[in-house]
Amino acid sequence: MPLILTHMPPLHWAVAGTGIAAVTLCLLFLANRRLGISTGFEDMCSFVTALPYFRRSSVRSGRQWRLPFVAGLFIGGFLSAVLSTGWRPIWDLGMLDQALALGPAGKLAWMFVGGLFIGFGTRLAGGCTSGHGIFGLSNFELPSLITTMSFMAGGIATTQLLYRVVFHWQG
Amino acid sequence: MTLLYVLLGTAFGFILSRSGAADYNYIQAMFLFERFQLYGIIGTAVAVTAPGVWLIKRRGRTAAGRPIEIELKPLHRGNIVGGLLFGVGWSIAGMCPGPIFVNIGEGKVYALAALAGALIGAGVFGAIYRQIQHWFRLPPLALGTGDG
Repeated sequence: MPLILTHMPPLHWAVAGTGIAAVTLCLLFLANRRLGISTGFEDMCSFVTALPYFRRSSVRSGRQWRLPFVAGLFIGGFLSAVLSTGWRPIWDLGMLDQALALGPAGKLAWMFVGGLFIGFGTRLAGGCTSGHGIFGLSNFELPSLITTMSFMAGGIATTQLLYRVVFHWQG
Repeated sequence: MTLLYVLLGTAFGFILSRSGAADYNYIQAMFLFERFQLYGIIGTAVAVTAPGVWLIKRRGRTAAGRPIEIELKPLHRGNIVGGLLFGVGWSIAGMCPGPIFVNIGEGKVYALAALAGALIGAGVFGAIYRQIQHWFRLPPLALGTGDG
């Protein structure tokens, strides 16, 4: 199955997984940082709100490394586009386009709703796929095992419901 | 150090972009059990990171000789409920937090809406922290739910 961005097959999973591990270990070994991205949402919120939750010292100290890291994520995606098909605005959503022909406004609304669940859920759980799923599991932390099982269950249930029941998807 | 974080983030973002982890179809194929790709990525990442973390902790110091201090995440009911909610969002958007940023960089316009939703979702969580703290047995507000 080709990627939506490059129209080419993805990297082999073993290569991608090893690369992710290398970045995670570099963060720890070079900078004493545990990988984690969803706290970046709090860092961004902390610039525009004075709520006490976003005034915590951990948010203000974490911003110094997490925001440059998140900026790198943008750059990595941008370079990936430039070095393949060239950067261009993309609206393609693959399977969702086949199942539900949403227009631009519909896609933005769909993604906004998904984003609400992501932002609220990751902060309530204290982490996401990176902080709990990769770092936490690798460090044998029980809350990370519970959270990872929970978000996999939530994702599997939702996609199975949407594609098998609502969309009658024929793989 | 800032440059180091930007470079590591760039490497991470490039890998996510080219691996399928930032691709709507691959996320759905994972949750439909139709592709092994994402399970292989996460499994390999954990299998390689775990012994690495163990070795770094045993050494106890960073490359520059500073002590390694890993802040552990707290255990509470939010792990389950927040995890389930995040899973619903991951399925709907086809992105977890890292890939939201990667997809914006790639030019996927709709990822901007996912970011807007995520920031508002996180903002609402921060705003009602004290109201839901007791039921979810969350740590004191000064600590929050943990970095990650």
